Amino acid sequence: MKRLMTSKGLFGGTTLAVLAILVLLPLVLPSATLATEIVIFAMAALACNLLLGYGGLLSFGQGLFFGAGSYLSALAMIHGGVGLVTALVIAIVAGAVIATFVGMLSIRRTGIYFVMLTLAFSQTGYFLAYTLSKWTGGDNGLLDVPRPAFALFGFDLVDLKGAHAYYVFVALIFLGVYVGARRVIDSPFGSTLVAIRENESRASAVGFDTRHFKMLAFTLSGAVTALAGALYGMLINYVPLDNIAMAMSENIVIMTVIGGTGSLLGSLLGAGTLVLMGEILSSIWPRWPLVLGVLLILIVVFLRGGLWGGVESLIGRMTRKDEA
Amino acid sequence: MKRRSFLKSGLAATSLLAAPSMLKPAFAAAPVTIHGLKSMSGAFASYGQFAEMGSKLAVQDFGPLLGAKPEYVTIDTEGNAGKAVRKVQEAIQGGAKFFDGCTLSSTALAVGKEVAKGGGVFMTPAGADEITGSECNASTFRWTVPTFGAIQQTVRPLAKELPKAKRWYTITPQYVFGEALLSAAKDLFKELGIEHVGNSYHSMQEQEFSGYLTNAMAAQPDVLLILNFGGQSSNCLRQAVNFGLKKQMTILMAWTAGLDQFQTLGPELLEGVYLGAQYWHQVDTPMNNALVKRVKEVYGITANYPLAADYIGTKVILEAIKKAGSADGKAVAKAMEGMSYDGPTGKETIRAQDHQVLKDYYLLKGKAKKDMKDPDDLATLVSSGQSFPTGDKIACKMA
Repeated sequence: MKRLMTSKGLFGGTTLAVLAILVLLPLVLPSATLATEIVIFAMAALACNLLLGYGGLLSFGQGLFFGAGSYLSALAMIHGGVGLVTALVIAIVAGAVIATFVGMLSIRRTGIYFVMLTLAFSQTGYFLAYTLSKWTGGDNGLLDVPRPAFALFGFDLVDLKGAHAYYVFVALIFLGVYVGARRVIDSPFGSTLVAIRENESRASAVGFDTRHFKMLAFTLSGAVTALAGALYGMLINYVPLDNIAMAMSENIVIMTVIGGTGSLLGSLLGAGTLVLMGEILSSIWPRWPLVLGVLLILIVVFLRGGLWGGVESLIGRMTRKDEA
Repeated sequence: MKRRSFLKSGLAATSLLAAPSMLKPAFAAAPVTIHGLKSMSGAFASYGQFAEMGSKLAVQDFGPLLGAKPEYVTIDTEGNAGKAVRKVQEAIQGGAKFFDGCTLSSTALAVGKEVAKGGGVFMTPAGADEITGSECNASTFRWTVPTFGAIQQTVRPLAKELPKAKRWYTITPQYVFGEALLSAAKDLFKELGIEHVGNSYHSMQEQEFSGYLTNAMAAQPDVLLILNFGGQSSNCLRQAVNFGLKKQMTILMAWTAGLDQFQTLGPELLEGVYLGAQYWHQVDTPMNNALVKRVKEVYGITANYPLAADYIGTKVILEAIKKAGSADGKAVAKAMEGMSYDGPTGKETIRAQDHQVLKDYYLLKGKAKKDMKDPDDLATLVSSGQSFPTGDKIACKMA
């Protein structure tokens, strides 16, 4: 088991675990729609993990990228009449461009100043969406977001209107993003990011342009988060203003921390935990976010690697016992 | 009789006797289920709890419908439009047809679209004019009076009561709903010859109104018209009273949440303040008197706006199913169009053209503590009436 989970192969190890989870999710959950929401937020948490877990950059601007992806892909479909693939590409490019701009200014500062700058950009994006109500619908949200069929060269290949079809589509994208993210993490770029996280001065002293690396991480993270935002808009056929609000940034960070920073698989666990907690606990106790707060405290204090860190140490203990 | 034959005959007889009871469940009608969209958790949970009471009571008190007792299922919107839409999609995939509720306008607008796609029926008390305006659809119905009616039924009677009050100042939240109230107010000011001496816009998240109130004081108006709602209007009023504005000018809050909000404000703040309301428990109509009595019996509280709105919304859907004699969404929606019924505000009619319920809106005035007969007797009814856009002013173009 341990060997399987720690396998270095891009398509083995945790990728197999992700594949298994993606197959099981719609089977064990009450609906494919709920499973789709979890996978979409897992994608956003994974993108946050690239920054926080590997680059050590706590960004509260993730909601800005998520919202921008939602709005721009939806507007391109509604007003530009573009198809699914083009809309998703628009979201990815827009997310990357916005993140590059935010990153260019934010990474000039470190620590609390960096966090504050990402927060300020996030708030700016929120008020921009709120002000441009003729385009975004303002506080009413952007309605009638289509979910076109998956088409290539003008031919409709798969109708995504059904909940299961859309889940499979989103799950395949997630799998692709996951494999891509693993490739990035396992590359020299990923190792340099970790080196910057551990000691930026030392990484700089050995000749790495740390700003350049952090910016690239930001751009990647923005692109993936915007992709998640676009998929979410198509899931609910609607872009609420909440998509670009501060609470969205908070939720993405919380999912990342709960799942485990520095673990891509943890993002899936974190997103699943947060979405399912809301689903189950909200019907039992209206003040369920209190439980979330307690869980977050417990994880930060006792389980520094998040839920995935806990799972890993459990697997480690079990295999040690077996070997003994 | 041989033992084997006896056993066979006995088994056959028992089967025959048991047959009706076995057949009954197989042929019994499936109960009609109403799905209540309520903010049971999150920022609007206190509103959702009352709305839930209203819908539950309506289903509980309704007799058999299409051969079975109707059932009720709660969908917690978590005060989040995205979550609400996803949960509604799931419910529709499971065969749900009838929905009532939604506190937030954004949620109601998005949910209305989903229900329309599923060919169901959705009744909401949400505030956005677009619900029965530009974003109307065949499945969505709305109980609350839109912004146009709220302004007509508060500013007009107050202007009549205070003929010398010709200078009005407005405080407006700068989002779609606030802009709609302000636009309606400006049109009416023009018609009534009222001078609009100024307006202060504030953001969606504003809770500190002292700057806007200072501007209002500087403009020396006769009336301060507060156009925000919920927690913002409560905070705005609290700060206005602290600034002593009540002694300098008349204050009108055009859109309040009714009793629930008044209870948190208390008579010291409310005394002499004019208040616009969708529902008031003291309105003397046969149905409202019965509702207030029943709510007291079951829950031990006085009926308030969210409770009454979701009660009547749910009841109207049930009545329409009965009238249509079918649980088919399209047939029920058709039955609701033009339907008249005894509602908490008196005779209420669902306008077929835009699915807007035509009902009264109220102008109340906060009472002094010494004049209150009970803890919920916080305001007195000044006037009531109906004002709705008609003819070309109806923005709804039903597909």
